[in-house]
Amino acid sequence: MQLKARHKTAGIIVGAALLLAAPYLAPYQALATQMLIFAIFAIGFDILFGYTGLLSFGHAAFFGLGAYGTGLSLIHLTSSVPLALGLGILLAVLVAVPMGFLSTQRHGIYFAMVTLAFAQLIYFIAFQWRSLTGGDDGLQGVPRPSLGPVDLSSDLVYYYFVLLMFILALVVGVRVIRSPFGRVLQALRENGDRAMSVGYDPRKYKLISFVISAGFAALAGGLYAMLQNFVPLFSLGLDLSGEIVLMTLVGGMGTIYGPVVGAMAIVYVKDFLSSQTDVWPLIMGLLYVVSVMTFRRGVVKELKERLLKS
Amino acid sequence: MEPVFLFSQFFNGLVLGCIYVLLSLGLTVVFGTLGVVNFAHGALYMLGAYAAYTISSKLQLNFLACLVLCPLIVAAIGMILEKFLISKLYKLPHYYNLLLTFGIMFIIQDAVKIIFGPEGEPFNIPELLQGAVNLGFMYYPKYRLFILVVTAGLSLGLWLFIEKTRLGAIIRAGTDNAEMADALGTNISWTFTLIFGLGAGLSGLAGVLAAPIQNVQPAMGMDILVQTFVVVIIGGMGSIAGSILAGLVIGQILTFSIVFWPPGSTTLIYAFMALVLVTRPRGFFGRVSFFE
Repeated sequence: MQLKARHKTAGIIVGAALLLAAPYLAPYQALATQMLIFAIFAIGFDILFGYTGLLSFGHAAFFGLGAYGTGLSLIHLTSSVPLALGLGILLAVLVAVPMGFLSTQRHGIYFAMVTLAFAQLIYFIAFQWRSLTGGDDGLQGVPRPSLGPVDLSSDLVYYYFVLLMFILALVVGVRVIRSPFGRVLQALRENGDRAMSVGYDPRKYKLISFVISAGFAALAGGLYAMLQNFVPLFSLGLDLSGEIVLMTLVGGMGTIYGPVVGAMAIVYVKDFLSSQTDVWPLIMGLLYVVSVMTFRRGVVKELKERLLKS
Repeated sequence: MEPVFLFSQFFNGLVLGCIYVLLSLGLTVVFGTLGVVNFAHGALYMLGAYAAYTISSKLQLNFLACLVLCPLIVAAIGMILEKFLISKLYKLPHYYNLLLTFGIMFIIQDAVKIIFGPEGEPFNIPELLQGAVNLGFMYYPKYRLFILVVTAGLSLGLWLFIEKTRLGAIIRAGTDNAEMADALGTNISWTFTLIFGLGAGLSGLAGVLAAPIQNVQPAMGMDILVQTFVVVIIGGMGSIAGSILAGLVIGQILTFSIVFWPPGSTTLIYAFMALVLVTRPRGFFGRVSFFE
């Protein structure tokens, strides 16, 4: 076990150094920021998928709602960054409560399909409501105001702001999972009947987990809107809902750090591929097939196993 | 509004509903027996339409040939996918096959886009089925009536097949009791392959039938996939009667919302699904503990 602790410390130091230097390592600064944003999304998704055992296939809805909520707040209501991000999260949570309430009636595949269908509903509402959302042109002209004395308009400064948010999300995520509440979630994942028989109401816990992960997704979405100065309609779409599942699975579900790595890797690979070739959907599809067929336990778990053996 | 207009819209709703019935029947049979939610189902539907386009405009064969050949081609592709990829994951949690088929969907869709281009292809109604029929109270396009007849015949055929044949008995065992089908084990792996082929063939047939009334384009499968999911959620997953009823209901909702409130055409079915979920969480004919 000492071996494990040593590896852990080394891992944290290397990780921290990489994160601090990332804007200088990545091909361009905004890409490093984007990698962090999707890592935040993945942390939240892992709480639901990895730790609660619920596969949502509609989580882009909350990413998108966070993005539109934050973007619209910045355009129409406020120039306060925390308030706008908070409003984006609030919007996503307000939708997540009824949506989670209805979807958690069902388990397994049904849960995935019901969440997918609700996400499509939200997608089409945004698509139709042109006057508010810009329809399929997306929401244009989202400003990136200053945060108190800090000017976020430079991509480099904004990266470190997102890094701060990422660390916050990571700390909150880990605390949620290690809290008694998080233990109940894992008990539900392992054996729902047993958890129920000792007095936990599964639906209540599943719903709370759903809403928490929606909050993380919305934070990521809000940060994304400010990064791009724009909210594309695809931020609500089916492709993104699938991508977050892939990121979590490739990284290793139920390991928090795994999905973070998975998200960063996939954002990077996707950016690289789409700059090299216009057939990247085909390659992404192959990536799905290959990772499901061969890399099932995720990158981090495989690495951990190998380190422990050595 | 004229009653004749409403009648013809009702018929249009039935025709659209037929496409959903065919698609959701395939999805439901595969799900009920194999426990796989096939995300590539829409892509197979799209392949059916492109196969029909290729056979009729490049090979100059007639529409009847398309109706026979295309479902067979798509079924064969489905069986290859099942044999070499999907069947490897039956023993794992269900989301692996969900993601696998999601990836396959992207591959098929992008491959078609590369081969045929992103724009749609025109597909004319076959000559024999052009024009309209006098139904006594209104005229209605021949081709659309043809879709109604084919779907009705096929649903009946599928029902007989499931009730009367050995393969059908396995499907029944699967849809009635998931563990039962599981207990049959991997000895019947070819049967599973055939069943997947049947589901794929049904979606391919839906694609051929839809080709003359919709645009043949790479995204057509993606668009209809989620709507088909809504149909099976409403009908009750694994239920054949549920698929038929829910498919026809969704067809009506879509058609009449286009007439009376166009913006609702893309959203109302989801609202209806929410309503069904509140009142009947398992859909019209869904049963307890079914691949949950």
